[in-house]
Amino acid sequence: MVSDFFFPNFGGVESHIYYLSQCLLKLGHKVVVMTHAYGNRSGVRYVTNGLKVYYVPWRPFLMQNTLPTLFLTLPIVRTIIIREKISVVHGHQAFSTLCHEALMHARTMGYKVVFTDHSLYGFADAGSIHMNKVLQFTLADIDQAICVSHTSKENTVLRSGIAPEKVFMVPNAVDTAMFTPSPKRLSCDEIVIVVISRLVYRKGADLLVEVIPEVCRLFPKVRFIIGGDGPKRVRLEEMREKFSLQDRVEMLGAVPHAQVRSRLISGHIFLNSSLTEAFCIAILEAASCGLLTVSTRVGGVPEVLPDDMIVLAEPAPEDMVRAVKKAIDMIPGIDPQVMHLRMKKLYSWDDVAKRTEIVYDRAMQSSTTNLLDRLPRYLTCGSWAGKLFCIVMIINYLLWRLLEFLQPAEDIEVVPDIGPLHAQIQRDDLCEAQENQI
Amino acid sequence: MEQPALGISDGIYAYKHLCEGGIDIHEIVVKKSSFRILLYYIGTICLLATVCRTLLSKEGLYLSSLWSISFAGIIAKCLRCDPVKKESLVIMPTFGVQLEQHFWSGRVRRKFVPIGKILKQVLNECVTPVTCYWSLALLLRDEYELMLVFMKLRPPAKMLVPIWNALCAFKNSDSTRRLADPHPKDSACSPESKLKT
Repeated sequence: MVSDFFFPNFGGVESHIYYLSQCLLKLGHKVVVMTHAYGNRSGVRYVTNGLKVYYVPWRPFLMQNTLPTLFLTLPIVRTIIIREKISVVHGHQAFSTLCHEALMHARTMGYKVVFTDHSLYGFADAGSIHMNKVLQFTLADIDQAICVSHTSKENTVLRSGIAPEKVFMVPNAVDTAMFTPSPKRLSCDEIVIVVISRLVYRKGADLLVEVIPEVCRLFPKVRFIIGGDGPKRVRLEEMREKFSLQDRVEMLGAVPHAQVRSRLISGHIFLNSSLTEAFCIAILEAASCGLLTVSTRVGGVPEVLPDDMIVLAEPAPEDMVRAVKKAIDMIPGIDPQVMHLRMKKLYSWDDVAKRTEIVYDRAMQSSTTNLLDRLPRYLTCGSWAGKLFCIVMIINYLLWRLLEFLQPAEDIEVVPDIGPLHAQIQRDDLCEAQENQI
Repeated sequence: MEQPALGISDGIYAYKHLCEGGIDIHEIVVKKSSFRILLYYIGTICLLATVCRTLLSKEGLYLSSLWSISFAGIIAKCLRCDPVKKESLVIMPTFGVQLEQHFWSGRVRRKFVPIGKILKQVLNECVTPVTCYWSLALLLRDEYELMLVFMKLRPPAKMLVPIWNALCAFKNSDSTRRLADPHPKDSACSPESKLKT
């Protein structure tokens, strides 16, 4: 698994990679994660269940992304792939430069590559145009791609021009063992609405500034708990001061993920005001804790929860207020335990891993082609861009050949395979039992 | 009694294991390669030529000439031979281990680590921006940083494993000795003897 986004950084992509890796380890596969160094966290680390993580000492330069160097990551990517005996390279997130470079190098070396897109992007602004071009380059020669919702699949296919048959839809999931409802049902005398998100523009923090005062005015028994931090926090603080809502709007600041569940179970309703979401794991976590969700109808959000667990609204203050009113009326009929049990059946990371396994099998069955057969695929990326991408791939191929001459693959020592940790513990227990018998 | 050397060899390094008078010596020797010596001379000549051209030209020192000297310096540094000829680990039972660096110039740098200071010997995977390699390191009591057994050289894991095994056997034999005799009588370094004096 390759991405710029992994622990100790926290977010949807990070937890997706982590949980998917853990479930694939349980299925008996070997999984290695490659990401960039985080501060002093550099080198090889082993996390839960013996999941091996390479924190390559390339410093992030912008928004947790490694500096794009095109070819300088080839030696380390090649070394890791050979020494770990990798067969499939799985990149995550279109915004990750390390992911794109690793997929390019893996493709050059003839390995199978899979890409998962976790976000929706636009088509009109300069940033999106450049991002889409990079995505076109990466997906021009991909074996298989995965998207987290049907909306995301449509978005990815339109942005990159990849054939839809190559794109699988495998949704995210939630750790229902960690996100459990409160054992004691909350009283409905006071309704608590919880908001936990990064307080940034695309998460709809500006919408909250409009919605909260109106809801507080219409419903005297409603209280808000807002967790999270970001540049828009100042606006929320100002709103609180302006409408004198200090006793009705509680600002928690950044909430560590380990404490999210304890904050969620103190509320009845979870409010999500995102302006764009490919999937939204946050509403899964809230539903798993037994909260009724009120969310903007954007992106892949309508695909996530059943209609009786979510109230959707357009991303406009009036419609959001209407949706909150509807949710408040629904509260007495909501049983958090029943909601949690339904979520357990609907979403599980084991299911995500099995579906991802199918994608890997399909990727392994795809034919291996040489450079000359692959170059025409890049020409479809554009009249100028296509030629540029071909030149980049040719240079990458030549550099790979040079590396093969200077340091042949046979000289790179393969790491001994110790297997997942739970298998190790079982073997140790078995040995001990046999010794005791003797 | 000296026992014949056992060895493993690859393209760059050769591993030798000697036993002399009960002392275990593990050596990693850099093989002399005429290709690398040639590259070293080429790099040095390029650097000297760049510097001479800059000094002898009538134009004087400009930014471009500084750049070319710096670039030639980097190339010469990359192509230079390692000054280290061999690194060795000498295991002295009941005393400790000695880490030695032998240079081509004849200089030798030695460092002794008493057995009581060694907590554990570990085979570590190191990651650099361009490669990964194995290293053998010692975890020391009251020290935050690991001590590398081979500081300059990067021998492959197949050479490090027998050395690691030897260190494990050395530590185990010390643990066994301590269990058998937890209060050694004639120990000048024991706290009781210091108090008495």
